[in-house]
Amino acid sequence: MSVPSRLRTANPHLGAYYGIVTSAFVSLILLLAMFEQLGASQTVLSETMLLAPLALYLLIAIGSRTLEVEDFFCSGRRVPPIFNGFVLAATAVGGVGVLVYTGTVFFLGFDALAIGLGWTTGMLIGGVLFVPYLRKAGSYTLPTFLGHRFRSRIVRMTASVVQLPPTALLLAAEMKIAALIAVLFLPVSFSLAVVTIAAFIGVTVILGGMRSVTWTGSAEFLVGAIGLAVVVTTVSIVLTNIPAPQLTYGEMFSSLHDAEITAGVTPVQPDGLAAALPGPAPMANGKPFLEPFGSMSEVDFATLFLCLALGTAALPSLLTRSGVTSSISDQRRSTAWGLLLVALFVMTAPAIAVFAKLILFKDIATVPASHLPAWLSEFGAQHLIQTGDANGDGAIGARELFIARDGITLVLPTAAELPYVLSALMATAGIAIALAAATSHLFTLGASLAEDLYRVLDRRQTLPRLVAAWAAIAATALAAAVFLVIAEVDPLRVALSALAFAASTFFSTLLLAIWWPRCTVQGALAAMGTGFAVMVLEVAIGGGFAAGQTALTTPVASLAGVGLGLVAGVAASLYWRTSSKAEETYCVEMRNPDGDAIYDRAQQRAAATALVAPTAHAVPAASAS
Amino acid sequence: MTDHPARDRHQLRTLILAVAILSTVLLAVFLTVTTATWLNQYGFLHFPLGFYLLAQGLFILIVVATFWFVRIQDRLDEARAENEEIG
Repeated sequence: MSVPSRLRTANPHLGAYYGIVTSAFVSLILLLAMFEQLGASQTVLSETMLLAPLALYLLIAIGSRTLEVEDFFCSGRRVPPIFNGFVLAATAVGGVGVLVYTGTVFFLGFDALAIGLGWTTGMLIGGVLFVPYLRKAGSYTLPTFLGHRFRSRIVRMTASVVQLPPTALLLAAEMKIAALIAVLFLPVSFSLAVVTIAAFIGVTVILGGMRSVTWTGSAEFLVGAIGLAVVVTTVSIVLTNIPAPQLTYGEMFSSLHDAEITAGVTPVQPDGLAAALPGPAPMANGKPFLEPFGSMSEVDFATLFLCLALGTAALPSLLTRSGVTSSISDQRRSTAWGLLLVALFVMTAPAIAVFAKLILFKDIATVPASHLPAWLSEFGAQHLIQTGDANGDGAIGARELFIARDGITLVLPTAAELPYVLSALMATAGIAIALAAATSHLFTLGASLAEDLYRVLDRRQTLPRLVAAWAAIAATALAAAVFLVIAEVDPLRVALSALAFAASTFFSTLLLAIWWPRCTVQGALAAMGTGFAVMVLEVAIGGGFAAGQTALTTPVASLAGVGLGLVAGVAASLYWRTSSKAEETYCVEMRNPDGDAIYDRAQQRAAATALVAPTAHAVPAASAS
Repeated sequence: MTDHPARDRHQLRTLILAVAILSTVLLAVFLTVTTATWLNQYGFLHFPLGFYLLAQGLFILIVVATFWFVRIQDRLDEARAENEEIG
């Protein structure tokens, strides 16, 4: 019989392993910095800096390969809280956070803080309301949990289908970010980069499932955190002489304000949320950084915050990680670590934006057009910064300086005149976090398609469990690559729409499933269906975040979906009072913090039954539902 | 109420803790958002106060609240386990 998860211990050498990973990466940075001083070319530096860590991730994925079902789907339930926190933070922030959120703060300043605040608060809401109970349930996927909770295959399959939009959109956004960085720093086309990234994350996930997602994700998080910390701290030292960017960028507000006035940036009025969000193409920055509620009203700020908070709380890719630690207490602790790391990043992003804005405005927008810095032509060729003296006044004003939102983070080291190796380091950090998030989303999608659709539909279980998961993961990676090659995707709008879908579809359903024992299968279906329908309607009418022609903005629609879903779930549960004894027992047991996971106990009972009656066709109690 | 007073007490306290922590954080966020423009006339560490609270202050509050929640909930769970053993 397998060892209960609460008695399992993590590998005692994990700290040493990741110490070696960290040391190796720091050594690589130092080595390449020396090579740069010795005259190594930028191509050699960027290729080594980006490809060497990829080889390391692949090595870790091979080392954590597994054919055990429990290892594949929940990493053996023995991941230490801090390591789960690493992957939770990388999944929540992602490449979208590192590049796109920072760029959004650059353009919107004060108003963009709603996004970071929403992510962080969402992790708290999920950690308090959902995570401990999902850990106790122990199901491998979110739809499996809902299926077991309501003893319903229909709920399980429906949840798997409605989980597709939020998870697939986030997967596409993260892959796009990784591909964009690869195109800028490696000699590859966008299509080749997308296909290579899809193959890389596909192989990583297929080799070890949740186990390899966890251990490669931890390494990717460390590489990303080191890269960001080194670059931003160095810029902070260059600009303020103090290595604490989060504390020092406040000192620069008066200089920034002066630079903005010189460049012709004037206060603006809100013009709807969709119009406020910056697009991916290079655009002029027309809003003062510190102006509160200039691009969106207070109500828009609050609804965007709440939509993202509820979406993050109910995000399947984060909640799927609720079963990987050895106990409920450890799971709570890991969420707290993840939240701390997300908060650290979100507190750092405005510093990056302020540093970049001050440097760009001082070096470009306040000098004569004939004295522009040399690096500008390089960024112009890469479509990151475009400028021209359109009005012929001999200077570049803010309206003549077009900057790509997603390039701000990558531009910063060069604009601060740091060695090229730090630009490559920033790119490595961005790609590492994007890959960590993409593998999490890919695993969530593939595992759910295999477990909650294929295994439920194919009663004869033609394919073994892991083979079905491998096939689903490979197919999902391929589909994501094809989608990215043929479709134009804006990572910001796609990621925000994904979180809006997650909030509308899953928040009310999970709230009722976990906190209201009288919720019935009809109630769950009504809550999930209503929330999903509201979002589909909003996308059909308003085009998601892509268009702002309708008063029904995506965050408002998402919050309406949550509210209507709650009402529909309660009404349907009260009308069809069919809650069975088994469902009530499941609810009571789910709230008991002691003992093993419900799913594991069901598996152990099934295994014991199979031993007693080897000829009988034993069906695990949990999966029978 | 059920026949398990320790269990009922644990569930009630867990619910109160969850509501207390979430309502505190959400209230703090909404109060800060509605008063941010007014707060910006005051300074803190060279930042306008309203901006500082939304960019850093609330995150510190949320992180502290989360670790506090973990500690209190662990104690509630331990108390339930002890009470059930005695019962």
